[in-house]
Amino acid sequence: MPIGTVSGPTALVSPQWSDDVSMFRGGQRAAQLVQLERDRAARDRDVAEAERHRLRTALDALGTGVVLADSNGVLQVRNEAATRFSGHEAILVKSAVDALLRTASKGQPATRTVEFAGPPRRVLVVHASPLADGFALATIEDVSERVRLDAVRTDFVANISHELKTPVGALAVLAEAAADSGEPDIMRRLAGRMVDEAHRAARTIDDLLELSRIELGGQAVQEVVDVHGVLLEATERARTMAVQQGISVIVGSVGHATKAVGDSRQLVSAMANMIDNAVKYSDEGSIVTVSAAEHDGWVDLAVEDHGVGIPARDLDRVFERFYRVDQARSRTTGGTGLGLAIVRHVATNHGGDVLVRSEEGVGSTFTLRVPSAGHPVPAARDVTPGVDPAVVFDVAEGAT
Amino acid sequence: MSELRKGFHQDIDTAREELVHLAASVTELIPRATAVLLDGDLEGADYLIRGDDEIDARSLDLEELCYRIIALQAPVATDLRQVVALLRMVADIERSADLATNICKAARRIYGHELDPKLRGIITAMGSQAEQLYNEAIDAFVTNDAAKAAAIDDMDSYLDSLQKQFVQAIFESHAAGRIDLQVAVQLAMVARFYERIGDHAVNIGERTRFIITGWMPEHKGADRYRQRANGTGEPPVER
Repeated sequence: MPIGTVSGPTALVSPQWSDDVSMFRGGQRAAQLVQLERDRAARDRDVAEAERHRLRTALDALGTGVVLADSNGVLQVRNEAATRFSGHEAILVKSAVDALLRTASKGQPATRTVEFAGPPRRVLVVHASPLADGFALATIEDVSERVRLDAVRTDFVANISHELKTPVGALAVLAEAAADSGEPDIMRRLAGRMVDEAHRAARTIDDLLELSRIELGGQAVQEVVDVHGVLLEATERARTMAVQQGISVIVGSVGHATKAVGDSRQLVSAMANMIDNAVKYSDEGSIVTVSAAEHDGWVDLAVEDHGVGIPARDLDRVFERFYRVDQARSRTTGGTGLGLAIVRHVATNHGGDVLVRSEEGVGSTFTLRVPSAGHPVPAARDVTPGVDPAVVFDVAEGAT
Repeated sequence: MSELRKGFHQDIDTAREELVHLAASVTELIPRATAVLLDGDLEGADYLIRGDDEIDARSLDLEELCYRIIALQAPVATDLRQVVALLRMVADIERSADLATNICKAARRIYGHELDPKLRGIITAMGSQAEQLYNEAIDAFVTNDAAKAAAIDDMDSYLDSLQKQFVQAIFESHAAGRIDLQVAVQLAMVARFYERIGDHAVNIGERTRFIITGWMPEHKGADRYRQRANGTGEPPVER
């Protein structure tokens, strides 16, 4: 290395120094200085490293994907959220980010929405903005949940007006027709229809009341509940309709020792709604199985049918109030569209979950999970409905 | 590496990247076409059918890039196999996009007809299986994984069996008078479209193997043919 390029403390020990003793002491001193300087540099490096690590950890903790590229388009930083995609989605996200970064590095901010059909459907907003020195920063934001909630809100308003206005409108029309007609036969038929429509409106209002009672009730009563009794009572409620439609409801063997902690009225109401649904969406002659199983401090109350099933993209929406997979079918089944919303609220009140597994043309299994009385009450877990039970078991093991 | 060669390898990398991007775009078309079909989404169908023009344009650009590489750089060995395989893969991907478009066109033709849940369930399964095959094919190509590429052919047999199940379910549905003949025929074609998309994914896998090993499944048949010809140079006489 040419002497001229040596700089800083190392220059002090360059071979220009002679072998003189006093000089040797000076050399010792210089060596000490060098060592001190080296230590300081190492400390600085450590501090800088720690700082970088902290920043990196902070970036990785962000829910938003962050990608930073230099003026040559070479990636400098990519946090964890930006790498959370797989398969063709990862490729499409990457190409969108690259394209936007190119635009941004020329000083032009750019935004693009990237959608994936899923299911589950995903909507990402990718935005790139120019930084100093030709650097560019891209962010990837997952707005799927926001888009879904917007849909929930608009659908809810549309659906509740539809559910309440339809029977009332029908009553008005029927009453008018009855008023105009003098014939007893026609009057009788119209009156019969009016009774049907009035019952329909009453059912919707009853369910709405039940739902708001469960919603407002907050924490459920904490009593020990006989699970077998709950299943029998809930099944009894659905009996008439099951017989009418030629569907057998079978209650699986449940030990009398199986007890849950909660509010038996709410549990019966939830189970009755689940059985009701299973019966409604099954074909004549098929079987609905009601069962309960205890594990890891939870009791799983399950209703399994072999009916029409639920399309995958609707799975996370069936628990919404008035949401219907098939609008056309709702009139014939005569449901209020509130059953599963009630089930979900009961689950929440008990600190449990409601899970659904379904395949179109094969059938659905709904599982209401509540704390078991045999064990101390497990900590409430943050699990969204609609998650495959197999996945949830892992979560449960981690939490208990 | 000389500057000239650097440009050449950059060209090949660009071509590979564009192929992967194209394949990913087509993969996303599969669930979208399935949703269009199951929801009877006419607007979505139009959107996807129009979108096929973009895939066509990008396929042509990529094809031209490959021709340019061959004409200007005269690649040999692995590089030549790479470019030739890319050319053939582009055709597979472009054709798959057409098939997804065909699914949308079928959705328009059967609009307003209700399908049995069983039929809907199998359509969902065929769609996700075709999507998965495509994802595996892309992955094998990106990672140059010959073993993974070979496995795609085995995975495809599940899609084939789904197609058979579906045709059976169409017969049942038609026999029970729940769908008319027109819809039944359209659905049978739809099943065929999914099955073909799966076959194109298998092709991509085979071309990936070809890039890595130089071997193509057709070699087996070709070897048999040559053995029968017995070195005479004459076409073999079948007995």
